[in-house]
Amino acid sequence: MLYVLKRIGVSLLLVWVVATIVFLAIRLVPGNPAEILLSQGGVAPPPGAVAQLRAQLGLNQPLGVQYVEDMRRLLMGNLGTSMQDQSPVADEILRRLPRTLELIVAAAILSVLVGLPSGLLAAIWRGGMFDRVASWLAAVALAVPVFVVGTLMIEIFALGLHWAPAGGYVSFARHPLRHLALLAMPATTIAVGLAAILFRMTRASVLDVSMRDYIRTARAKGVAPRRILARHVLRNALMPIVTVLALNLGSLLGGTVLVEYVFNWPGLSGLLVSAVNARDYPEVQGVVLVISVLFVALNLAVDLLYAVLDPRVRQG
Amino acid sequence: MRRLRLGPVVAVGAIATVALLTPFLGLANPLHMDIAHRLAPPSPAHPLGTDAYGRGVLSRLLWGARVSLMVASSSSLLACVFGTALGLAGGFLRGPVEFLALRGMDVVLCFPPLLLALLVVTLLGPGAGTLIPVLVVLYLPGFVRVVYAGVISVRTQDYVEAMRSLGAGRMRIMLRTILPNVGGPVLVQLSLAAASAVVLESGLSFLGLGVVPPTPSWGLMIGAARATMAQAPLLLLWPCLALSVTILALNALCDALRDAVDPHGMTRRAHRAGILERLAPGLLPARGPALQVVGLTIAIDTPAGTIHPVRDVSLTVMPHETLALVGESGSGKSLTGLATMGLLPSIARVERGAVWVEGRDVLRLDEAVLRRLRGEMVAMIFQDPLSSLNPVQRIAPQIAEAIQAHSAGAGKAAKRRAVELLRHVGIPDPERRAHNFPHEMSGGMRQRAMIAMAIANHPRLLIADEPTTALDVTIQAQVLELLAGLRHESGMALVFITHSLPVVAEIADRVSVMYAGEIVEQGRVTEVFARPLHPYTAALLASVPREDGSLPEPIPGTVPPPSALPPGCAFAPRCRHVAAACRTGVLPLMEVEPGRLTRCCRWSDLA
Repeated sequence: MLYVLKRIGVSLLLVWVVATIVFLAIRLVPGNPAEILLSQGGVAPPPGAVAQLRAQLGLNQPLGVQYVEDMRRLLMGNLGTSMQDQSPVADEILRRLPRTLELIVAAAILSVLVGLPSGLLAAIWRGGMFDRVASWLAAVALAVPVFVVGTLMIEIFALGLHWAPAGGYVSFARHPLRHLALLAMPATTIAVGLAAILFRMTRASVLDVSMRDYIRTARAKGVAPRRILARHVLRNALMPIVTVLALNLGSLLGGTVLVEYVFNWPGLSGLLVSAVNARDYPEVQGVVLVISVLFVALNLAVDLLYAVLDPRVRQG
Repeated sequence: MRRLRLGPVVAVGAIATVALLTPFLGLANPLHMDIAHRLAPPSPAHPLGTDAYGRGVLSRLLWGARVSLMVASSSSLLACVFGTALGLAGGFLRGPVEFLALRGMDVVLCFPPLLLALLVVTLLGPGAGTLIPVLVVLYLPGFVRVVYAGVISVRTQDYVEAMRSLGAGRMRIMLRTILPNVGGPVLVQLSLAAASAVVLESGLSFLGLGVVPPTPSWGLMIGAARATMAQAPLLLLWPCLALSVTILALNALCDALRDAVDPHGMTRRAHRAGILERLAPGLLPARGPALQVVGLTIAIDTPAGTIHPVRDVSLTVMPHETLALVGESGSGKSLTGLATMGLLPSIARVERGAVWVEGRDVLRLDEAVLRRLRGEMVAMIFQDPLSSLNPVQRIAPQIAEAIQAHSAGAGKAAKRRAVELLRHVGIPDPERRAHNFPHEMSGGMRQRAMIAMAIANHPRLLIADEPTTALDVTIQAQVLELLAGLRHESGMALVFITHSLPVVAEIADRVSVMYAGEIVEQGRVTEVFARPLHPYTAALLASVPREDGSLPEPIPGTVPPPSALPPGCAFAPRCRHVAAACRTGVLPLMEVEPGRLTRCCRWSDLA
């Protein structure tokens, strides 16, 4: 219980640190931040617009006042308004967040379904044909960046074979089948790299655990190999696999940018890219904050899952 | 450090060389546009054709390599320098520096990497000048952590303390002792950062947020080629290929470095235990003994050649009898014990010999048959009970598992029997302890639980591999007493592997002394201890602290490794009684008196 409270405390602290950094980042950049944000292509912005933006971002007040005001606003769930169309940032984020999460979850399921069993089999038949082919495939999958995978998939499956639409989005409520068809390629694209990572981790972890003393003990007891695998090896090998999966899902929270861009998937990262391009700082700030909070929350979930998986953690 | 695989090094080197030489290859200007010849097929001037602006694809590809590698190498090198400095400072200066270094890195790590990059790009605008500092910050934590961990593990070691007491300055200690130690992991980290930087740079450039056009970059080329994907698919292929091959090479370099640095990283291919090819004649099943090992030789294939850590070992143990297998670490006694169970580690194989357990040759049994023998007829207790118990399973199910592996009985009955066994081995409050995890028990209790597990099916033979070494002296005595009692009541045979002679005197009937993979002396404990017939046994006895208070005499030198055995007697280099005959030829194990064996050719002079 103490462990759980401690982890939650640390996570809250991290969220606060993240919020503070995002707050400070724009204000610590040398020069006038409003001017930087408004300047496009080396053209100096009109002074009136700069003054207006300064007022809108509250940059005229003392730093301390700004900070307190900012934090209070965030606590209320107010992420500010977009510089582009004056709409509340939070609304747009809430609309797009589920689409990104859907993509990540679909990719995670696919990659677990492929990566875990193949990693396990490769470890069992290590040095064999399957192991060599799968390890080689994983190495290739890891070497091809997601946006390359995505682009090539469009070229092959959409333009070449016409198996799937090249990209876009339709809500599930309107066209369930079309929604899933559109989801398939981006989810698969993300899953390729993730499955390769999971494959490697599973293989390494299972091999590592197989060489532990307690596996030898189980063999010395005369326990059947299948039971040793299920009861002793897998259970202990799961910890590092879960860690790696969670860490990668975390970095996917920001890392779907490229895939969403390639497939025109209107998720959170698409919002981020357009906000970055438009130098819409409130929107960037909002997205970064939300994703970081999710990231921290995910790490917390992993820590808590540890406590379930490994009784030794509960004490510490 | 192992030898580094050269393939990846050559591949990365080749890519870097091409990138470096690009300006001297006489290629077309990668920025020169020629709209009239857009999307042109290959020609002598443009071997891979031209892009949508009529620029040479090959030229842009190679110049793009320069950009990618420049960004990747400069950012990973800078991160390496700063990260190493920060890690060293944090680990060595401690206090607030340590706190700031570590917590600072935690903060960096709570942003997803691509996100942090995008945040900075928003503020500073795209371009290589922004990209490099961002990547440096992103890769900093990896270096700081690796170096910090290295410093922490080295800091407390004796030689660093010694240098400090000799008055060496802190800076000198850091640079001289610690840097070489963390060099390997830092190198691995460097290659990881470089590979990841190539990926991130190309990704950001692809989005138009990294390298700014018209500078050639692979990410930009892929992004641009998407517009003309239908007309010129090859345009897409080249940069994709270049990028993927580069990352593949860098990843392979990471793996090669890691394998070279990490002694545990590389897993060797398992040997097929299989049927022994060279079946020595005359190995008939012997009736009577609980265990009979005949001419056992174990081989391990290493990159430097095959070594034989156990050579021609023969043992016989009768029911009710306790045989002690004694020797220094590295003498091959544990491997002998494991071979008896058919549990040799996968790198080791039996080259010659036979192991008969209750009349069955363990080495030639099918694994499925052998499995039913293990835990039922023959059981084993291991040295370190903490690592030998499954850390995530409670004690009772671990014991019950041993029972259920050999009978079809219900789980409930097995659990009850597990509690019974815990009580039997003297664990107080066994009902409660049955629900403990291994880490919740004391060392003595864990070892008792191991024993309970081993005797669960009333084995005819129990192999105990240094069961008391990890325990303190009082607990050790209790465990020995327990084992003696169990043997007395069930009549099982016991093989007790140990390096402790006082323990041998306490528990064993007969003793086999092993040295460098061979048995050098064997006989009844009382006789061997009273009148050793091998100089090694005599030296071992002299090295034990005496009750009369006289000083023990350590044996000079160390056991030779199996890869560098001297010719003749393996003990000759350390022996006081060495003669010319000891250094040549093979010395046989001779039965010099009934039941007394020695490998010393000068045994009669000793006695």
